[in-house]
Amino acid sequence: MTAEFTRRELLKTQAAAIAAATAGVALPASAQPVPGGVSALEINWSKAPCRFCGTGCGVMVGVREGQVVATHGDMQAEVNRGLNCVKGYFLSKIMYGEDRLTTPLMRKRNGVFDKEGEFEPVSWDEAFDVMAEKCKQVLREKGPTAVGMFGSGQWTIFEGYAATKLMRAGLRSNNLDPNARHCMASAATAFIRTFGSDEPMGCYDDFEHADAFVLWGSNMAEMHPILWTRVADRRLGHPHVRCAVLSTFTHRSMDLADIPIIFRPGTDLAILNYIARHIIETGRVNEEFVNRHTTFMRGAVDIGYGLRAEHILEQEASGAGDPGRMDPMTFEEFREFVGQYTLERTVEITGVEPAFLEELAELYANPEIKVMSLWTMGFNQHVRGVWANHMVYNIHLLTGKISEPGNSPFSLTGQPSACGTAREVGTFAHRLPADTVVTNPDHRHHAEEIWRIPHGIIPEVPGYHAVQQDRMLKDGLLNFYWIQVNNNLQAAPNNSQETYPGYRNPENFIVVSDAYPTVTARAADLILPAAMWVEKEGAYGNAERRTHVWHQLVQAPGEARSDLWQLAEFSKRFTTDEVWPEEILAENPDYRGRTLFDVLFRNGNVDQFSVDEIDPEYPNNEAQDFGFYIQKGLFEEYAEFGRGHGHDLAPYDRYHQERGLRWPVVDGQETRWRYREGYDPYVGPGEGVNFYGRPDGRAVILAVPYEPPAESPDEEYDLWLVTGRVLEHWHSGSMTMRVPELYRAFPGAVCFMNADDARRKGLNQGMEIRLISRRGEIRTRLETRGRNRMPRGVVFVPWFDASQLINKVTLDATDPISKQTDFKKCAVRIESVA
Amino acid sequence: MRRENRIRRLTARRRLALAVLASLLVMGTAALAQMAAELTGPTPPMENVPADPIPRWVVDDIRQMRAYPEQPPVIPHSIEGYQLSVNANRCLSCHKREFVQGSGAPMISITHYMNRQGQMLADVSPRRYFCTACHVPQANTPPLIGNTFTDMSELGVEHAGDE
Amino acid sequence: METIKRILRWAWMQISRPAATLSLGFLTLGGFLGGVIFWGAFNTALEATNTEEFCISCHEMEANVYEELTRTVHFSNRSGVRASCPDCHVPHEWTDKIARKMQASKEVWGKIFGTINTRRKFLDERLRLAQHEWARLKANDSLECRNCHSSVAMDLSRQTPRAAEIHTRYLLPGEATCIDCHKGIAHELPNMEGVDPGWLVPPELQGEALPQASVIDELEARVRTAHDIR
Repeated sequence: MTAEFTRRELLKTQAAAIAAATAGVALPASAQPVPGGVSALEINWSKAPCRFCGTGCGVMVGVREGQVVATHGDMQAEVNRGLNCVKGYFLSKIMYGEDRLTTPLMRKRNGVFDKEGEFEPVSWDEAFDVMAEKCKQVLREKGPTAVGMFGSGQWTIFEGYAATKLMRAGLRSNNLDPNARHCMASAATAFIRTFGSDEPMGCYDDFEHADAFVLWGSNMAEMHPILWTRVADRRLGHPHVRCAVLSTFTHRSMDLADIPIIFRPGTDLAILNYIARHIIETGRVNEEFVNRHTTFMRGAVDIGYGLRAEHILEQEASGAGDPGRMDPMTFEEFREFVGQYTLERTVEITGVEPAFLEELAELYANPEIKVMSLWTMGFNQHVRGVWANHMVYNIHLLTGKISEPGNSPFSLTGQPSACGTAREVGTFAHRLPADTVVTNPDHRHHAEEIWRIPHGIIPEVPGYHAVQQDRMLKDGLLNFYWIQVNNNLQAAPNNSQETYPGYRNPENFIVVSDAYPTVTARAADLILPAAMWVEKEGAYGNAERRTHVWHQLVQAPGEARSDLWQLAEFSKRFTTDEVWPEEILAENPDYRGRTLFDVLFRNGNVDQFSVDEIDPEYPNNEAQDFGFYIQKGLFEEYAEFGRGHGHDLAPYDRYHQERGLRWPVVDGQETRWRYREGYDPYVGPGEGVNFYGRPDGRAVILAVPYEPPAESPDEEYDLWLVTGRVLEHWHSGSMTMRVPELYRAFPGAVCFMNADDARRKGLNQGMEIRLISRRGEIRTRLETRGRNRMPRGVVFVPWFDASQLINKVTLDATDPISKQTDFKKCAVRIESVA
Repeated sequence: MRRENRIRRLTARRRLALAVLASLLVMGTAALAQMAAELTGPTPPMENVPADPIPRWVVDDIRQMRAYPEQPPVIPHSIEGYQLSVNANRCLSCHKREFVQGSGAPMISITHYMNRQGQMLADVSPRRYFCTACHVPQANTPPLIGNTFTDMSELGVEHAGDE
Repeated sequence: METIKRILRWAWMQISRPAATLSLGFLTLGGFLGGVIFWGAFNTALEATNTEEFCISCHEMEANVYEELTRTVHFSNRSGVRASCPDCHVPHEWTDKIARKMQASKEVWGKIFGTINTRRKFLDERLRLAQHEWARLKANDSLECRNCHSSVAMDLSRQTPRAAEIHTRYLLPGEATCIDCHKGIAHELPNMEGVDPGWLVPPELQGEALPQASVIDELEARVRTAHDIR
């Protein structure tokens, strides 16, 4: 290079060096020209939330020539400040799996639909024609309760909202449930029962304020790695900070634990009551707070396990009839109730060392320590998950450690829009937007007003929840079923006995919208190819109430279309006369003969924004197709539900400018801590704290006992099975297994087992084994080392691997109140394959 | 070996389909993508299939090219048994700035010295302490399913010195 | 209680009274046989305490250090050759073994008084316990490691490039000993704050060879010095 250095270049370099020196800029020693100029290096960067978990990290997405070429953590995103976990860093590749679905596929034989036929590519028209015909046939023959939809916490807000409108107002069925039912129904239910309003009072800012972190059955190091960086930052950067981790086995989060607690599966309930007792008996109840802001209740007991009604455990459960019942009680009665949970008794139930329990209880009892409790699936996927959530609120409420920086009971979520879509939009079988419910006539009335539909359209009976949908499919009572953005055949419990038979039931027509051929798609009758993530404009809401919007950045491959497009387009195939009752139409003749698309989406709200309002820099396929800015219209209509009711959202356009905003957004300001004066605009001066979601403004402290799991190991099935995730794969792995680097980082599921247990059973490390329960079995490999260090008698199998469907083994027991499945506790045995 | 097993297991290719695929291969890639889509995944979905052996890690110490500059480099060695806890960080004992000359390991990127506010610290920021949140070793096995991600250099990005 | 006292008194009487009716020959032979039996019993007992079963018969050992060992390469590996507790923690030489066993009597004391009878106590004591073992292994040049892992027998071509390089650079010239780098190979580590990575040789020791513990290594070293290869 020096040889070719001409005198002219030398002069130029010197001049530049002098200029740089005066300006204080360092120049590279040998700057080389960029072919095509610096613009050839430019990448179009846009913001988006991550596609994976509920943390809601901001990512910058780099696009070049219509392809995503790079992603990195968004420095300006408050949540993650430039960091991503390994999955987030590989977002660039999730849309480019070689087997992306690019055309609708229908089971056919001799050119026509046949349930036993083979998948053949069909046009969207043919797909929707057959689908509408099947749906109408079911509606005619069996009525709206025989049609259903299973959605997701990965739906964008608009998609969830469009689905809830289509199902409840269009097809008049409440059989709409999200896979979030498997994920945080217990958390959502307990929020409503305790505070009268769903979702956390605190936010992620609590991480930087807390003196102690308590992980209740959560493995944040793997499942919420970016929030874990904030915990690690706080714990390692501030010597006084303590971290307690509770789990049924040792995992990566335990590596940061000062108080590591391994308890017997299901016995966390006893620990929680012991802590309540400790707080009371050591005189550390915050009496002023408790007297002003709480009320004591006694919960129903012996409430069963959410199994099929004929199951012996349900027959025997005395409280199964009304599991959610709560009756008032006094503080003294509560004191007496938790008084049973002495240290000795708790040690006996849980198997935990007394010293650890005392240290843990002190984190809560000591008024000087600001404590953040964190939980996800350990609590929520629990046959007493609602209770567990209540009980952690109990100890925060008794001490008044709530709704202020650092004092925060915080329910984490697993999906990017579990909060934003499943919960806030209300895609659960009983919910309507913004904490309203179908069972309340006023709420239905209000929804019908906003939706501009006749009164009486929204059905009042809650629909089938997730596990019940599978049972009803199998029993032939649910016959038209549409699954969007999830892989429930892999995710559902006891799937070979309770889920798969329903999909293949000859009476049923199953539609699956997905980007990839998942096991669920492959078990369907019709597969619709879906656009994903930045192939469409979207909005997600994360675990700290942050609503985050993104633009469409690239085009989906082939004929893949967004779920929103699919829902809206499908609605064009129905007229009101076909789906609405004659008596309502007779009273409202204006609605006669109109398509569902007209009444639901071209209703004067949703279609009020012109396509000219779309940022010209970005494509928006749906808006172009429908002729109006449908996403903005849906968002603004939906926002009407919450504005002025404690769920205020900002104007839609603002979200395109921000890295998300935490609701309620009042006067342009987000809210970080709810229910506390000075932070929450809904709490008036002098109130201090007001749990305004409840009529009396008081949060509930609930007395409930420890009750054992639905199934425990015995002589025949001698091991506990716990299922869950691993860091490198997200949920069923349909995206992450297609990223080569992530696949290679964790190529297949294994069964983590205690090495000494394995040796006693004569099983070798790495051996192929059969893992068997009363429901089914899988073949897997034995791992006695690695990240999950199992105690005796407990094994762990992740569920991301489609070739090892661990949910063939799990039990379809649920929390009887929230109907959320318990994926963490069932009995299995292990045999060598050889 | 692993790949063959896995693919055999995950693809429901009937012989006929294979033949169709083969003929399509000649006819055009667009059509091929169309057909390939319907064929991956275990068949029937609920069937019990043998579990592949746990693969070994790539341990050749050869640094892999990143798919884009922001990608965290993958680990070209095994980290089995490495302790990474509040007590000890085995990764740092070679990759920390002070140790790289002796260990010959690549130094942790300077971005890791930045705190949440973007200020540079004298040492690795505690928020970056748990290396395995972003850096993963690689099993010695081919991808399960191919990925058509395109490197930016193939999309008109030219770098200094490309000529 | 009374019965035990009576039995003990009777036994003492029997032993302390001079033998009046037995021949010297019988007594000598009896003493010899008794000695043999005692010796045998002693050795049997010694060996019995030198097994993993004995070590993990204490809950402290089983729930903490053994549990951790089971997840490591010294518990299961390719060839199935494994190290049990005494392989690493009890010297093989008889005199050293006895010395170690006498030390261990202190551990019995610890067991009786519950010095480490909870996980919390174990975690609090872990650094001190680990330091003992590191110091011992450093002082004897990782003798217990080298009982199985002779450095001269290492096939560098079968090691990963990184391991081969580091071994060539530090282990073979004797600049570092096994335990320097392989702390935590069989158990979890205590707080390592301020503990340098093993391969980092303190400046004052750089270039200095450690005493060679393995006979073969020592022999090799002597040959090298004699022939001035270095």
